[in-house]
Amino acid sequence: MRESIILKWARTPGMEHLEEYRRAGGYEAARRVAVGAWTPDQVIELLIASGLRGKGGAGFPTGQKWKFIPRQAPTTYVVVNADEGEPGTFKDRTLLEGCPHLLIEGILIAAMTVGATKAYIYLRREFHRARRVLEAALAQARAAGVVGERVFGTGQAVEIVVHTGAGAYIAGEESALLESLEGRRALPRLRPPFPAQAGLYGQPTLVNNVETLCHVPVILTLGPERYRSYGPPALFSVSGCVVRPGVYEAPLGVTLRALVFDYAGGLRPGRRFVAAFPGGSSSMLLTADQLDVPMDYDSLRQVGSMLGSAAVIVLDDAADLVEVIARAVEFYRDESCGKCTPCREGTVWLSQIFERILGGRGRVEDLHLLESIAQGMTGTCFCPLGESVPPSLVASLRHFRGAYERHIAQAVVHGR
Amino acid sequence: MAVPRVHALSEAARAEIRRLAARYEHRQSALLPALFVAQEEVGYLPPAALAAVAETLDLPLSEVTSVASFYHLFHLEPIGRHLVQVCTNLSCLLNGCRQVVRRLEEHLGVAAGQTTADGRFTWRVVECLAACEEAPVLLVDEDRWPRVAPDDVEGILARYP
Amino acid sequence: MAAEPGARTVTLTIDGRRVTVPEGTTVYQAARAVGVEIPIFCYHDRMPPLGACRMCLVKVEKMPKLQASCTLPAADGMVVDTHGPEVRAGQEAILEFLLINHPLDCPICDKGGECPLQDQTFRWGPGRSRFTEPKRDFAKPVSLGPVLALDRERCILCWRCVRFGEIIAGDDALKGFQRGFASEINTAFTQPVASKFIGNTIAICPVGALTSRPYRFRARPWDNRPVPSTCTHCGLGCAVWLDVRDNQILRTRAREEPAVNDIWLCDRGFFGHDYVSAKDRLTTPLVRRHGRLEETSWGEALDLVAAHLRASMARGPGRVAFLGGARLSNEEAWVASRFFRQVVGTPHLDHRVDASPVGASLRVPWGLRAPIEEIGRADVLVLIGCDVTEEYPVLWLRMKQAVDRGATLVVVHAKRLEIHRFVRHEHLVRHDRLAATVEDLARGAEAADPAVVRTAASIAAGARVHILVGRGALDAPGGPALLRAAARLAARAKGTLHIARGKGNEIGAQRFGLIPSDGGWNAPEILEAAAGGRLDVLYVAGGDPATAVTDRAAWEAARRGVGFLVVHEAFLSSTARSADVVLPALVLPEKPGTVTNLEGRTLPLAAAVVGPGQARSDDAIFASLAAALGVTFSYGTSEELLEEMRAAVPDFCPGAVSPIPPVSVPAGAARRPEALPDEDPGRAEASGLWLALTEQLFSQGVMTGRCRGITDLAGAPHCLIHPSDAARLGVRDRSLVELATAHGAVVLQARTSDVTVPGQVLVPRGYDAVPVHALVRWPHPAAAVSVRPILPAAAGGAP
Repeated sequence: MRESIILKWARTPGMEHLEEYRRAGGYEAARRVAVGAWTPDQVIELLIASGLRGKGGAGFPTGQKWKFIPRQAPTTYVVVNADEGEPGTFKDRTLLEGCPHLLIEGILIAAMTVGATKAYIYLRREFHRARRVLEAALAQARAAGVVGERVFGTGQAVEIVVHTGAGAYIAGEESALLESLEGRRALPRLRPPFPAQAGLYGQPTLVNNVETLCHVPVILTLGPERYRSYGPPALFSVSGCVVRPGVYEAPLGVTLRALVFDYAGGLRPGRRFVAAFPGGSSSMLLTADQLDVPMDYDSLRQVGSMLGSAAVIVLDDAADLVEVIARAVEFYRDESCGKCTPCREGTVWLSQIFERILGGRGRVEDLHLLESIAQGMTGTCFCPLGESVPPSLVASLRHFRGAYERHIAQAVVHGR
Repeated sequence: MAVPRVHALSEAARAEIRRLAARYEHRQSALLPALFVAQEEVGYLPPAALAAVAETLDLPLSEVTSVASFYHLFHLEPIGRHLVQVCTNLSCLLNGCRQVVRRLEEHLGVAAGQTTADGRFTWRVVECLAACEEAPVLLVDEDRWPRVAPDDVEGILARYP
Repeated sequence: MAAEPGARTVTLTIDGRRVTVPEGTTVYQAARAVGVEIPIFCYHDRMPPLGACRMCLVKVEKMPKLQASCTLPAADGMVVDTHGPEVRAGQEAILEFLLINHPLDCPICDKGGECPLQDQTFRWGPGRSRFTEPKRDFAKPVSLGPVLALDRERCILCWRCVRFGEIIAGDDALKGFQRGFASEINTAFTQPVASKFIGNTIAICPVGALTSRPYRFRARPWDNRPVPSTCTHCGLGCAVWLDVRDNQILRTRAREEPAVNDIWLCDRGFFGHDYVSAKDRLTTPLVRRHGRLEETSWGEALDLVAAHLRASMARGPGRVAFLGGARLSNEEAWVASRFFRQVVGTPHLDHRVDASPVGASLRVPWGLRAPIEEIGRADVLVLIGCDVTEEYPVLWLRMKQAVDRGATLVVVHAKRLEIHRFVRHEHLVRHDRLAATVEDLARGAEAADPAVVRTAASIAAGARVHILVGRGALDAPGGPALLRAAARLAARAKGTLHIARGKGNEIGAQRFGLIPSDGGWNAPEILEAAAGGRLDVLYVAGGDPATAVTDRAAWEAARRGVGFLVVHEAFLSSTARSADVVLPALVLPEKPGTVTNLEGRTLPLAAAVVGPGQARSDDAIFASLAAALGVTFSYGTSEELLEEMRAAVPDFCPGAVSPIPPVSVPAGAARRPEALPDEDPGRAEASGLWLALTEQLFSQGVMTGRCRGITDLAGAPHCLIHPSDAARLGVRDRSLVELATAHGAVVLQARTSDVTVPGQVLVPRGYDAVPVHALVRWPHPAAAVSVRPILPAAAGGAP
């Protein structure tokens, strides 16, 4: 396996212990920021130079995001999005369980850079192991004076609070996350204002994903040039019909083919690649003829899909495409917050039709209806959740129409 | 239904909720954690527990109940001693979770979302648990069980009396 | 939309028309400003945009997706299309989504004819549905209390009602539950909705999901004749539409009046009209013969009254007195005042029937000293003994806006107010300690209690301070001292002191002469004179002193002592039952004219319906009596009368505010020495409890007792006792208790609640069936009270 600079922290045993982490060079970047060896402006310049982009799904340049936080605001917050829930994505959990101190260090750097004294980690409730590891790591960090009133003995204070969610995928959307952190239903907020202007409690708030923050100490330690020489690196979660599902660090722009056949060990014996979601179930499905698309932001956007959370879900020829799409739609139906009409009503209507088709009661005209409902949801939803449904559905109708027709033909044969 | 005004929560639980509230600039931020405190003490969130949370945090009962009903991990109805959650999202679907679901259903003798007659298990189907490399995945209480084969189900459940 | 001078503007093109609007205007608002209609459901112009329903989609050049126009800020050079094919397709899709789970039961839906969903489907809808799956299924309709019915199948989840409760009323009455396609609007556990403003949610619901239980299935909107008028319940003077059909008011709706109620009402306003068409309205004059009230003709009744008045006038001036006025129009108040002063020759007139002689109520003119709108712009609001949501609910909506903008709300009260979540500084003290608390506040930094010092500092820091002193403080022990302290507090903060007191048209009665002058007696003095045999005739109109006078014994002594009691009434009220002559009167919704609201604004009344039988307006009755006494009177809304009123009150002008002069507090001695709290320390020692009477919006009085919704909302007569006292006395929640003072006893339901303080029992007024005024004896403003559980009779016989 290739050398990794991010994932190695999670893969090295003992990294959940502060002393081990420090022995390996950990917390040195944060300490240097704390003592002023790097000014906030320099940190931001390094991040911009690194080309780091948000790893939660939207891919916004991280340095820019940090720069947007008004420096003079009386209260600023850092909020860590650890509500990983995009189907097929498990890199953040891997980092949380494997190298909590890397995250804490990233948070410290972020907080000191944007002038926040308080950071909240919005952690997915189901991550029980991650919570235990993280709380223990935080306790060590507080005891060691790394987190708390006087970070590394300086006058800077950074308190970190772990806050767990309660089971809602939509809370992974940053504005819904802030609503949830304020103790409300996790409904996405209207933007603008963006969190950088008015986020938690209406104050400027930097919201970053776990993996994003884990890249930060590495960038500072290696310098942007060396960091970029690794690709720049990204963590890919590869799962589904592959021999070795797992998290892989690979350079951005690695081909889908390499990820599936090289990193993840290819398909099971005798199976054929049929399709894959390149960036979680919200990204548009790619087909076998797109295996050589480079897995980076722009290339995937050009083919109508997206890198998203870089979660590759591989489907082979044993998978029932209709069942897969139906299950994906069901996911969005169950996780729709219910705020806007097209998402709330469109997902349930689509699911009802899929249920009929899979139950052997499909009709030929259903295919047109599915496409038309998807059309009605396209560009009309309040937030990205509802907008995630149409692309793969429409792609499946285009590329795998035969699968649908087989289900419907069955219905006709059985006279239902 | 009249919501009983008696305290459904112990003084310790209410003190814990007040302690949690102090972690945040706005006390409503403590609502989700407070609901977990109440749920852990009572087992689920009956109206009286919600009312006690509302009173402790000085929030409207309507708001507390509305929020509680939004999140899947709050139980407004009683559940079994152990909660079994089986992921059926894409990666698990592609790795045979249907068979695990079927085995669970057979073994426990109740449908998804239901509780066994002895009150031991409630099982349900859930969305992606972010452990797709271990698909199919089962979460029993706080324990994650990786790569569960249908034949593993009985043995796993036996560990939860 | 006119841009304010100096404000930055943007210019955009909507459907080919250039529009210039202030920066920050949304595309939806900009379109509306030039008459381009964009369909909406969730957007409501009194609330910030939400962007949930997605109905208002438009196409904007250079933007890849359709945009929700209600949330999209207009920008320079934007080119907007509101009805091209892409937009139409989007609108059709949204409407189809909204309709798939809608039951389409329009023929039996109350919203039919005034339903935005119906209208917009007609105009923008796809015309047919392709939905063949099972619809969402909810039990329907469910009752959420006496006035609200909820049909979740019809609900399109626009969130307007939820946001009304969060943003406008602050009562969080309705909420969304569950999520996604299972989302539903409801209360927690489908309990009766706890709100004083829920009628507004019915009004802004864009479908038939929220409907009025009293109005359900009673009319189609197009059959109703809407009559513009003014609500006359609390005295705030909210503008209303009275929807009339077959000479009956079927419903009340809010009428937009930016200066008063904006577009809102309280539920007493929404559901407070049934009394007008009550079956037991008085329709003929009644005279007492052989101890009983018997029907008679107008001629005979008026002759009898005139004869008594003439006889008294012959004995000398000032032997007739008048009480009442809350239920008279301005014009009637003026006619009544002129009749008694000029024709009968008495200065003893007073509308302040419910004022105690020992408090401060009689020492200061009532009313707000600034327009209602200004109270909404306050940065510090101090409520002293003013239970705003019980007394002037719609005024709270203004205060809520101020609080949302960061105003500091201070409350000094004997009861925890239901708006307590919005209160920054709360001083919850026993009724008899209110005065001391306000005096402490007025002492500012020198006060002993650090909490008081903090509150005083907050008040002093305000730039726009409004202090409202309500009945609960004016009538409290030490009321005069409290008022003086409040005046000092206001002066130091350069704030405005308001007297939030007066119901119905009492401010109009005060302005148009139903107030003692020229040596006239005030209401308690009138009662004392009557009891002492110094009056021949006591005349009551537009009031019910038998229940309103706070000392029942004082009223009863007055009744016994006066030879002749004349009452104008619409119902056989307690006062009417004891009268010698009862003249059937019209009620305010049956009369044209004007009323004056709490801020001194003149507001219109309309005769929405024709009164029953031979009932007459009060001013017509006075004019007839004047004629019988040889004087010709103009009355009603004749120009002659109005000119006369304008001459007396020069700024009398419909719609305008005639400011009530600032409060000036007489520093000198009171006319009576201030009485000490109850002289019955033995009882206080034994029970440890003091009585305090409180105001309640939903009551069972002469009018509200005849309004189904309100009677039900009021529930059982009750008292509130602190849980610690209840435990000590063995009183269970919702059990019956006997409340006794040295003066009397009543039986009512006890509710244990921490809205009161230990050592104090709160008893809401307004239940005519329970004479709580029997518990109080003047001049003692407070009473020690004992509470005794009434145990259910044990099975098998009495103890």
